[in-house]
Amino acid sequence: MARSGPDLTTLVLQQPAGVGEMSLLWRVRSVLRGVPLFSLAFLTVAIAGAVFAPRIAPYDPIQNNPVATLAPPSFQYLMGTDHLGRDILSRVIYGARISLTVGFLAVFVSGAAGTLIAVVSAVVKGWVDTVLMRITDAFLSLPYLMVAVTVVSLLGPSLVNVILVIGLLRWMTYARTIRGEALRLMEMDFVRLAHVAGSSRLRLIRRHILPNIVNTLLVLSTLDVALAVITEASLSFLGLGVPRPLPSWGTMLSESQTYVFAAWWMPVFPGVAITLLVMSINLTGDWLRDRLDPTRRQL
Amino acid sequence: MGRYIVKRVGQGLVTMWLVTLAVFGLLRLTGDPLSFLLPPDATKEDREHMIAAYGLNKPLWQQYVVFNKNILAGRFGESLRWNSRDALDVFLSRLPATLQLTCTAMVFSLIVGVVLGAVSATHPDTLFDRIGKALAILGQSMPVFWVGILLILLFTVYLGWLPSAGGIDRLGLKGLILPAVTLGWLFVAAHMRIVRSSMLDALDADYIKMVQAKGMPRRIVIWKHALKNASIPIFTLFAVNFAQLISGAVVTETVFAWPGVGRLLVDSIFVRDYTVVQAVVFFSAAFIVAINILVDVAYAWLDPRIRVAG
Repeated sequence: MARSGPDLTTLVLQQPAGVGEMSLLWRVRSVLRGVPLFSLAFLTVAIAGAVFAPRIAPYDPIQNNPVATLAPPSFQYLMGTDHLGRDILSRVIYGARISLTVGFLAVFVSGAAGTLIAVVSAVVKGWVDTVLMRITDAFLSLPYLMVAVTVVSLLGPSLVNVILVIGLLRWMTYARTIRGEALRLMEMDFVRLAHVAGSSRLRLIRRHILPNIVNTLLVLSTLDVALAVITEASLSFLGLGVPRPLPSWGTMLSESQTYVFAAWWMPVFPGVAITLLVMSINLTGDWLRDRLDPTRRQL
Repeated sequence: MGRYIVKRVGQGLVTMWLVTLAVFGLLRLTGDPLSFLLPPDATKEDREHMIAAYGLNKPLWQQYVVFNKNILAGRFGESLRWNSRDALDVFLSRLPATLQLTCTAMVFSLIVGVVLGAVSATHPDTLFDRIGKALAILGQSMPVFWVGILLILLFTVYLGWLPSAGGIDRLGLKGLILPAVTLGWLFVAAHMRIVRSSMLDALDADYIKMVQAKGMPRRIVIWKHALKNASIPIFTLFAVNFAQLISGAVVTETVFAWPGVGRLLVDSIFVRDYTVVQAVVFFSAAFIVAINILVDVAYAWLDPRIRVAG
């Protein structure tokens, strides 16, 4: 795949006298093969940055500083300052908090809602299944961002509302995929036997269905965090996400538009941050899928 | 076949019904729908007029009947902002700009995506293929609006070649390039990936080996025989991507001040012109539903197995 090392034969042929050392090296390499080291490293940095933002950030991300507006990157301000003199590096660091919070919590909401619907659908079957799947189809053909923007504006922009809206408009993938998985499991002998042996539906779900869909759920939700991060940024960019002056990357990019002729650093750095974060999550998700779910490798 | 179409259209109608139910429910859930449907400086008469028009003094189920009657008659109400023009009218006047943008973006992404994907598939594991893969990953990770701002930074600010805001009426075709590339870029990666993988399968198939064995030039084998069969999955992808295309248009139109439906929606939200918002959301959903039905029917026509199973 993406990071395929040299194949076994060439490695063996190239092995010089110090076999012991090489085999250790080889073992390390084989363990690490395909592991997206860069992505995992960046994710760690991003999460650490988000958690320890107040200690790392060199300046206050919200405090205006009229003396240093639109300062280009320098040793004092590594990523420059914006139109209100706020340090962009500090805002990028604090922005990771918002992106990751929204990303993980929104995915938690959609994952929980989707799994619930999927499992109920697959276990109860019949008209309940039909109705739930019709609703899922209906949600799938919604103009997603349009609805999100409208609902956020009706409820009022806030961090919680953004999380809820993104989460509640994103459960369909889980409902669809996990229902399929659960239906397949229901047909398998060990579940049928458990049923015959007198297990209640609740016990079937808890003991046999849920533990077997954890992998799928993990892969789906990892990839979904990336989408949630992009959606939050889009909402904030449109001015309907996390309210100002909270330093969301989307808000920063939106503000940068006015100053695009004067300050290239305003659009560049927050954008790089979003792209790297989303890319790292995507690559980690791809890797997890290959590791946990070999049957879907080509999808 | 007839039965399948009827069934699919029926499902589409159910979907649209759920959409109207959601719109109806949301406006009422916020407590006072009048505060969203009227300007802040509305007089008492305005309020009473509105209450009568929407039956807001009646029980909820009767309001719902009135609401549905209005929608079936195409009456979405009067826009607050556009001199009380009909909301549907406002929507329709903005539609052409969005169609220009989305169609150009789609054509761009198809051409670039298919060519890059096909070349990657015929030269697997070369430098070109690797760069292509990296581009695909990057393309899927960059938010649309950032791509737009970067393009403006490069082509408008530094090179000064292309304008950054306007719309086709004011700037002509030149103004279409940056927005279309921005929106299309989102799908280049997707098209490229799918063409590459289905092309690799196609090149492995017996009929291709047969054509090759006959002595057909490689160029014709690749671009005619293999690509033709490899391009089928693109159509499936098109249906899936359509909702995403509309979302992308909202953002792209905002970046480039493009006078389309997406920008209309965002502007209307900011001035609390919710009659227009309703119309835009409703028709965009109807559009997606219609496209999905068309693609499904076309598929069923091509592949009889779907008709039987679905």
